[in-house]
Amino acid sequence: MGGGFRVLHLVRPFLAFLPEVQSADRKIPFREKVIYTVISLFIFLVCSQLPLYGIHSTTGADPFYWMRVILASNRGTVMELGITPIVTSGLVMQLLAGSKIIEVDNNVREDRALLNGAQKLLGILIAIGEAVAYVLSGMYGPVGQLGVGNAILIILQLFFAGIIVICLDELLQKGYGLGSGISLFIATNICESIIWKAFSPTTINTGRGAEFEGAVIALFHMLITKSNKVAALRQAFYRQNLPNVTNLLATVLIFLIVIYFQGFRVVLPVRSKSARGQQGSYPIKLFYTSNMPIILQSALVSNLYFISQLLYRKFSGNFFVNLLGQWKESEYSGQSIPVSGLAYLITAPASFADMAAHPFHALFYIVFMLTACALFSKTWIEVSGSSARDVAKQLKEQQMVMPGHRESNLQKELNRYIPTAAAFGGVCIGALTVLADFMGAIGSGTGILLAVTIIYQYFETFEKEKASELGFFGF
Amino acid sequence: MARGSSQSQQSTSTGSSTARPGLAAPRGSAAATAGMRRRRLGGGGGVSSGGGSGVGSGSSNMLRFYTDDAPGLKISPTVVLIMSLCFIGFVTALHVFGKLYLHKSGSQA
Repeated sequence: MGGGFRVLHLVRPFLAFLPEVQSADRKIPFREKVIYTVISLFIFLVCSQLPLYGIHSTTGADPFYWMRVILASNRGTVMELGITPIVTSGLVMQLLAGSKIIEVDNNVREDRALLNGAQKLLGILIAIGEAVAYVLSGMYGPVGQLGVGNAILIILQLFFAGIIVICLDELLQKGYGLGSGISLFIATNICESIIWKAFSPTTINTGRGAEFEGAVIALFHMLITKSNKVAALRQAFYRQNLPNVTNLLATVLIFLIVIYFQGFRVVLPVRSKSARGQQGSYPIKLFYTSNMPIILQSALVSNLYFISQLLYRKFSGNFFVNLLGQWKESEYSGQSIPVSGLAYLITAPASFADMAAHPFHALFYIVFMLTACALFSKTWIEVSGSSARDVAKQLKEQQMVMPGHRESNLQKELNRYIPTAAAFGGVCIGALTVLADFMGAIGSGTGILLAVTIIYQYFETFEKEKASELGFFGF
Repeated sequence: MARGSSQSQQSTSTGSSTARPGLAAPRGSAAATAGMRRRRLGGGGGVSSGGGSGVGSGSSNMLRFYTDDAPGLKISPTVVLIMSLCFIGFVTALHVFGKLYLHKSGSQA
């Protein structure tokens, strides 16, 4: 190829058509940011409850059953795809950029613009592709019953919902809101799931008669209605197939552990060259890449599930398809669950007992989680422009130096901390996820980790914004 | 966040270094953190001591795809929100008309 030609340039013709939220040209007041964030969240929640028009049924197997909460999608609604298009396109772009298939120089403005455009374009294409796959695979009833008109309508609804999610996320990130839309939607979905499982008034018929789904409601109901208090207590704490109090306590415990780890950091002192006496610090946190490893790992797993289940339904006799994953209807939830193959190996064991019964499965899952999180974390710092080289350059541009070190040694000093924090932080995230899964935390280990890290970040953002606002008045 | 810090720095720095914070702003994390530190220390003692303990390093590594302006179909945030609400209304209308249509078909049959 010629020297000037690069893969990213293929994106240039499409840039003109991609919707682009214009950047904030002024300082947005904190209150206005909150309003934008709340409205965006409201739109997302309404879309999550708005049924798709034209669908016949949603009783078929749900390949995303295990990932619904994490991918912020709801079955049979306009938000069926959730944030999958965005996260998947981010995952793909990260892999391409990290492995140098696509050359990206984060210091060149045009490269960043092209990369953003490529991600957005890919997200849109994925939304279309997944919408078509959903319809053709019979997720909403056989295509013959739907009719061509309804099928097209469903695809258009899903596609446009994907566009809206992309635009809302961009809106929040361009400075009009707090944090990122993806994180906001994920955290909301997970918290909703946890609260529902703890306080749900729904009753479900089991072998012992009608029981409340919510763990807390069930606890009080059993204590009140059963004469044998000790048995009632044991039942509430350890019942199977429904949320119980132990699950709730495990969830709280994971929350506390993650919050504790958030405080781990190495603080590097920095000093300004231009303004004498100005002293500050640049903290490098253990969770340097925050929840990115979990998000990307979830996207990877969910796509693998989707592909595996699709193939299994069509070519269940093929050796390689069986190797990828075999699926079977679950007796309790009515959903397909992986019972063999790679898809099964990367599924969290249901409990400690299950882990003891299948030690190889448990071991494979643990190794996969830790390795995937560490690798994603390490790669992400390069892609997102937060590697030692990028940070050193930023500090230099800010006229900041480290006391006691020459300017040329700044990058070397940062290199001692940042890659280690990224990789080790990723491993810790993976380990906490595995721990949460084994303890039976409500939702899933991945979900808990995502929710806690996202909520923590929002608290930090609030504190920072308040400090910023106060600084303005105090200035 | 980054942009706010950048603008704040511009107001305090001299004319010769105006361009520099502007360049640094899009990359965010380090500039934002350093900027926050400097301004807070420059402020009153009370503000500095109070805010210092509570403020962390922020959400520098949240998932961020859109950090720069790119050439494209420019739309304002208000348009995004209005477009979303129109889409919700459209799907709702589809349901309403669908019910009416089925009702008429049922009555005719």
